[in-house]
Amino acid sequence: MRKWALLLILLIAAGAIFAGCAQNKAQNQVSSVAKNKTSQSVQASSVVIGVTDKVTDLDPANAYDAFTWEILENTMVGLVKYKPGTLKIEPALAESWEVKNNSTVWIFHLRKGLKFSDGTPLTAKNVVWSIERVMRIKGDPSWLVTDFVKKVVAENNTTVIFYLKHPTSYFLALLTTPPYYPVNPKYSPDKIDSDQTAGGAGPYKIVKFVRGQEIVLEANPYYFGQKPKTQKIIVRFYRDATTMRLALQNGEIDVAWRTLRPSDIISLEKSNFNVVKVPGTYIRYLCFNVKKEPTSSVLVRRALAAAINRSEIASMVYRGTVEPLYSLIPNGMWSHLDVFKKYGDGNVKLAQQLLEKAGYSKSNPLHIQLWYTPTHYGDTEADLAQMIKSQWESTGMVKVTIKSAEWGTYVDYARKGQMQAYLLGWYPDYLDPDDYTTPFLSSTANTWAGTGFANKTVDSLLKKAQQIPNQDERAKIYEEVQKILADQVPYVPLVQGNLFVVTKPNVHGVTVGPDMVMEYAYLYRT
Amino acid sequence: MSRGITQYVLLRALMIIPTVLILYTIVFIFMRILPGNPILAVVGTKSISPEQMKHLMHLAGLDKPLYVQYFDYLWQLLHGNFGVTLAFPMGVPVADYLRLRFPATLELTIWSFAISVILGLLTGTLGAVKRGTKLDTSMRLYSIVAYTLFIPWFGMILQYIFGVWLHILPTSGRINPNVNLHTITGLYVLDSILTGNWSAFVSSIKHLILPSLTLGIVLSGAYTRLVRNNMVEVLNQDFIRAYKARGVKDWKVTWYALKNAFIPVITLMGLQFAILLGGAILTETTFNWPGMGTFIIDRIEYRDYNAIQGAVVFFAFFVGLISLIVDVIYALLDPRVKY
Repeated sequence: MRKWALLLILLIAAGAIFAGCAQNKAQNQVSSVAKNKTSQSVQASSVVIGVTDKVTDLDPANAYDAFTWEILENTMVGLVKYKPGTLKIEPALAESWEVKNNSTVWIFHLRKGLKFSDGTPLTAKNVVWSIERVMRIKGDPSWLVTDFVKKVVAENNTTVIFYLKHPTSYFLALLTTPPYYPVNPKYSPDKIDSDQTAGGAGPYKIVKFVRGQEIVLEANPYYFGQKPKTQKIIVRFYRDATTMRLALQNGEIDVAWRTLRPSDIISLEKSNFNVVKVPGTYIRYLCFNVKKEPTSSVLVRRALAAAINRSEIASMVYRGTVEPLYSLIPNGMWSHLDVFKKYGDGNVKLAQQLLEKAGYSKSNPLHIQLWYTPTHYGDTEADLAQMIKSQWESTGMVKVTIKSAEWGTYVDYARKGQMQAYLLGWYPDYLDPDDYTTPFLSSTANTWAGTGFANKTVDSLLKKAQQIPNQDERAKIYEEVQKILADQVPYVPLVQGNLFVVTKPNVHGVTVGPDMVMEYAYLYRT
Repeated sequence: MSRGITQYVLLRALMIIPTVLILYTIVFIFMRILPGNPILAVVGTKSISPEQMKHLMHLAGLDKPLYVQYFDYLWQLLHGNFGVTLAFPMGVPVADYLRLRFPATLELTIWSFAISVILGLLTGTLGAVKRGTKLDTSMRLYSIVAYTLFIPWFGMILQYIFGVWLHILPTSGRINPNVNLHTITGLYVLDSILTGNWSAFVSSIKHLILPSLTLGIVLSGAYTRLVRNNMVEVLNQDFIRAYKARGVKDWKVTWYALKNAFIPVITLMGLQFAILLGGAILTETTFNWPGMGTFIIDRIEYRDYNAIQGAVVFFAFFVGLISLIVDVIYALLDPRVKY
């Protein structure tokens, strides 16, 4: 009898512990629901989007990855924005602006009667407060503000004046990025507010956010622009691309967004799903450590660049879903030059000549380690490394050892310059040639990449290009920089990614800008 | 006798402490040995200045000496505090995540557990009763096949059949995102019953079927074998023959035999529960189930020391508690066990 009593007590105790946990949780949930209880529960039409990306941080002062920026750009808006689907910048919260003092003073005039998505009035003071907040918090992307802005002032309720540290020709492109978006006064004034759902003044507002599960958006009734076509957008998070594909086929999601496997995209297209191809501005490239043997020899770097066959990579590894790239500045962007074409594609002869010059031969081959990271750039990464290995080895004068490390380790190795040759990728912060050159080639900005590349001419050219307002003059400078890049080969551009949106046949209005952000406001289902 | 069992339970409960402590220490050391850190993993390939890096390291408390970090976290643990996340996003209490994610894993685990035990008992008993027949052989075959199935592969087959072909069951998530459920315990089926929410009940059951079936079937193989072998042994014993001689009905004899064959099954249940939680990681990834497994993988990717430590400690504590309960049940059921 006693035994059973004891057992009962134990079970009750265990039950009580979980009830305790559960109660805490319930309170937690209630408070987060109450916070957002502004929505009318009328179920208008909704579109469900699946992604394998994550929302990392809802605070624009700290968020710094492409997909989180997409959510921010749909729930907030800045002074200016890209015209949907183009590289043209158009007025948003600001209806007009003036540039003074050699583009170091920028004056913006706001629209009248602006409101945040909860109805709070939005004035120039909010704009200034939000930007100063980013400067105060010093989160990951804060350099987009602090490197350029000396001071920002609200002249009156509708006028914002920026005083810049130095002339910045591409300041409007910077203004389209989330660190410049005015945020709701509910955001903590001096701390990172990662789970804050109050948002800004964008076309949508966040009504529910469960990490790792879903984020639910509803049309913002106070939005200054055109009303979104779909009242409710649900984004579901997937860990695995195959699971997401199955969910699309089973009708659990209407849209499969970033990122499906290339093979899945091809087979879905055959089975009656809509596939929308969007030219992307993200690039993949190979880094060489110019301070470490044997890649410290420019002849070796040129030889390895010549042996790479980009079209083979694009068709075999990526099944034709990417384009070959011959410069760090992507195809289609002004000032782009195909500077690496001079080495050819899979040019084994040239590679052999260069290697011979560097002192290698078939009996005395070059030994090199090639690094990749297995998951961060998708499942195709191991294939990419394998393909490059075989292309290099086809010269008969190179022996490649493939090595891999997962992301956390990989970036540490890169920063410390511990790898010889390694694969990386780049998503732009702002769409300007500067963002594809300075972070890689400026000796003060490229420490993260670990290539050790430093060149005084390039440094001064890049600095100069940042300050000239005239685009044609800037383009000339970037062309020169690209030529030096192809001559010195600290990086080898490989491919430029396209993005694919796969939808059910009844989904229309897929709009993805050159910044690779999908604008949910145009999406609808029939 | 009663003093004996109280002491035994207390001692077993105390044993959880060193187990958890050792595990925490191992995780702490391993995470620090690995190159990289949470800040680097978040910043990745973006360029930030060394001063900013320092600032972020300071915010995360990673500029302190290692032994200070070790004891700081331990001190927090002693106060029932699991610390705050260090990456993606920074500064959210780890306990918030555990509250959100653990019920999901627990729900999946309970259902899979029930399915595996029921399937195991059924197939094992059938095999033992019909020993030597084709049915017995097929049950043994089932046991081996089930045991060796690879969860993501098997899960995907079920997803294809019931999702993509038949369109009758969802293949991912816990509930239809258009269904609003007010959560109380975080166990969705229970919550939907408690709040009388019929559509949430149907939706959460539907979402549970495929993942719990996948995990349940894979784990049932071990039970099938164990139950069958024990039953065969028990059925050969004298008391069973005595029952049969007295004309006790067949099903009743089977029932008595099953009761006797059950004790080793309980031991396995205790062990399996810990394995189940591990198996849940693969199942969760395959079915996009937002539980502890997917949480830990996410966090490892970003070197979120606090979150990983917190989750592992919580897991260890929970498994310790379950095995304590199983041991006590075992002791209570088996008169041969002495304390």
